[in-house]
Amino acid sequence: MEAASVTDSEHHGPPEAHRSSRVEPQMLGMLLFIISEVMIFGAFFTAYFFIRVVNSDPWPAHGTELPKIVAGFNTAILLSSSLTLHWALTSVKNGNRTGLKAGMLATFFLGATFLFVQVNEYIHVGFAPHDSAQGSIFYGLTGLHGAHVTIGLILLGIVTVRAFRGHYSAEEHRGVEVPGIYWHFVDIMWVVVYSTVYLL
Amino acid sequence: MLNPLRSEGEAFRLLVYVAVVIFAIVAIVLVARAVF
Repeated sequence: MEAASVTDSEHHGPPEAHRSSRVEPQMLGMLLFIISEVMIFGAFFTAYFFIRVVNSDPWPAHGTELPKIVAGFNTAILLSSSLTLHWALTSVKNGNRTGLKAGMLATFFLGATFLFVQVNEYIHVGFAPHDSAQGSIFYGLTGLHGAHVTIGLILLGIVTVRAFRGHYSAEEHRGVEVPGIYWHFVDIMWVVVYSTVYLL
Repeated sequence: MLNPLRSEGEAFRLLVYVAVVIFAIVAIVLVARAVF
């Protein structure tokens, strides 16, 4: 039986055990993680679909109002954080460590600001998760996203500290790239959440 | 073809495309609701 073809130029013969011959392990890990998280978000969006489309519940519920403008500013903050992250990565790919550090710091603080504003919104929104189906879905979806932002901030915090310790270079910056992909995924999910929950 | 899991650059481009498309759709829906 012929050995499976391998695209890795350093290895000949069948792929090594427990490794993909096409995708680096770190990227594969993040790929599988993001796919599983998309499924979780899908479940929450399905619940939202049921109460709003199938059940035709009024949205927002009577007597409540969703803070579209504040959330809009928060959306701009999160989109900006993706921009600064992209700047950080572009900098390190060009060997610019100062740009990397500045970009990562800006990304971290923008992300933390987003989370702070979200928590403040929960305090002032005027309804609780147990008040109505709307409450459950609103807090469920935005809270699930907030949990993802928290995970992302932990990753970004580690990357920022390591960036200041000089761990990354133009040749080796996978430790910035992989969390960067996760952060952009978090941002994409927020665009979908904001559009469907607040705007539509 | 854009593969957001190949590099951060492609993930960033996907974010931009998704944001533009979704906000365009939302704008169309909101305008349609206001008009009809």
